[in-house]
Amino acid sequence: MISLSDVNVMLGRKAIVKDASFDAQAGELTVIVGPNGSGKTTLMRALSGDLPFTGRITINGHSLGHLKPWQMAAMRAILPQSTSLSFPFTVREIVRLGLTSGRSGATHDVVENLPDEALALVDLAGFGGRFYQELSGGEQQRVQLARVLCQVWQPVLDGQPRFLFLDEPVSSLDIKHQLIIMQIARAFATRGGGVIAILHDLNLTSMYADRVVVMHGGTIDSVGTPAEVLTDDRILRVYECALKVGALPDKHVPFVLPQSAAM
Amino acid sequence: MSESVLVRPVALRSGQGKTRADGDRSFLAKGVIVVLGFALLATMLFSLTAGASDASVISVVHALIRGASSDDSVLSLRDSIIIWDIRLPRIILGAMIGASLAVSGAVMQGLFRNPLADPGIVGVSAGAGLGAVSVIVLGTTVLTPFISTFGIFALPIAAFIGALVFTLILYGVATRRGQTSIATMLLAGIALGAMAMAYIGLLTFLADDRQLRDLTFWTLGSLAGSNWTKMSTAGPFIVLALLVSPFLGRGLNALALGEASASHLGIPVQRFKRVAIIVVAAATGASVAVSGGIGFVGVVVPHLLRLVIGPDHRYLLPASALLGASLLLLADAVSRTIVAPSELPIGIVTAAVGAPFFLWILLRRRGIVDL
Repeated sequence: MISLSDVNVMLGRKAIVKDASFDAQAGELTVIVGPNGSGKTTLMRALSGDLPFTGRITINGHSLGHLKPWQMAAMRAILPQSTSLSFPFTVREIVRLGLTSGRSGATHDVVENLPDEALALVDLAGFGGRFYQELSGGEQQRVQLARVLCQVWQPVLDGQPRFLFLDEPVSSLDIKHQLIIMQIARAFATRGGGVIAILHDLNLTSMYADRVVVMHGGTIDSVGTPAEVLTDDRILRVYECALKVGALPDKHVPFVLPQSAAM
Repeated sequence: MSESVLVRPVALRSGQGKTRADGDRSFLAKGVIVVLGFALLATMLFSLTAGASDASVISVVHALIRGASSDDSVLSLRDSIIIWDIRLPRIILGAMIGASLAVSGAVMQGLFRNPLADPGIVGVSAGAGLGAVSVIVLGTTVLTPFISTFGIFALPIAAFIGALVFTLILYGVATRRGQTSIATMLLAGIALGAMAMAYIGLLTFLADDRQLRDLTFWTLGSLAGSNWTKMSTAGPFIVLALLVSPFLGRGLNALALGEASASHLGIPVQRFKRVAIIVVAAATGASVAVSGGIGFVGVVVPHLLRLVIGPDHRYLLPASALLGASLLLLADAVSRTIVAPSELPIGIVTAAVGAPFFLWILLRRRGIVDL
């Protein structure tokens, strides 16, 4: 379990995250939503150990401040929003970097093929020999996800759950790959790991999240299941948009929901 | 059907027919390292025999096997002295300097995530030079305590300190929140280089005749005057840097993703950067102290190797050391023979070849990155 209590994060002199407290359970997909500038990424960076904070963050009971980088690397992996490279690495070489900490959890004979398996998982089988810099933004994002998956290949290691932090994992992806990525996150949670993802798409959130954390102006507005949290008045208050949950457009207006894939 | 979208794609076993996975260049890299190792041995042997005095390969090998003092008929006494006291220290020192120039270039490029970073181009060599020149000119006056403290190691230590200070300034100026701006780095390098040159100029102005001769010889960059003493003073720094560098490979690879991601992968980034900067400063300082400014080896060698074996630093660093050593020995052989019996400073040879190569890299990259 990842537990935050009274977490405050400052950037310069400005308080970006104020008194944030919530728990993210192993076996669950926790989704953080909120408008731009509400502090989602800053909170994620504090969780990742990139930013100093006050308050308390624990991973499986260990306080974040007491963990060394390599200890944290064995407990969680982090997908950044985007990654650019200045050296001509191949896709496979990038994915293999996920094995840097050496705690993938895969058995010795499997680990050499792990980059290929991870690439197949994100629908990039056969891309291993391509140059990362030549791929599209969405493909690069999936390569990075494959790398991150290699780092925590087994969602549970030595009896302890491990975590995936995904910062807008589907923002540059087409709908097919949005669904594939969310399925991967779902499967990671089902197999005992924990996932914390920042999403902008409320429909995908509703479809995949076990627990939704709504951020607004640097504070945690509410925490709950999608049904509890996604209400008309909350969306109006947080997003300043008069949207109606569950309302359908006129008959002749086409609309496509990700949920229809499962119907 | 909907199932086809949601069910994850079947993992293709692309490795079935082939023995090696696509995009895995480690096998190639290892092969290249072995080839470069043999090439270095061959180059060293060739260098032993090339020069103003002719001694055949066979007689040289004989001499090496029998040892220095053995009294033999294969090699004349004159040739024996030339080989043992002039060429051998020069070749070993040349190989070490070539290796350290190439490795410090490769480490710096990894550290700055930028293939154009090179101690010579971004002013770090000039900083090392400032340290060395300070000792040469001020050693008898202001810096006497420094000399008496460090003895024969004063020159390489001063160069090391100069390189370290300049690297730290450069890093502080060019890197913000883990991101290095290429333009800022190159411009800061120009400013640092100009600053060092100004102080070196001032010190040159103060120098006496004997010091001036040392300085001129030293500024052009040369392996002439290599001897066992020089090797024993600069050697430890170079050997230490070269021995540590293989352990930087994994961290430099992770750093290619950015500092945050490297840390997420388990690399203690701040500590790692400190070690890498010290390696660069030690390698640059020691080689500058011995041979002056030999430019462009650090940018040309890693770049050529990345074209062949890719940027994986676990292989790039040892390969750079081997190729750097070979290329510098070849450049030295050219500088010794092209105007024989006189010799050209080696810095002129490497710059004449390296500078156009650097422009070619810029041309190739112009379309890829926004400089």
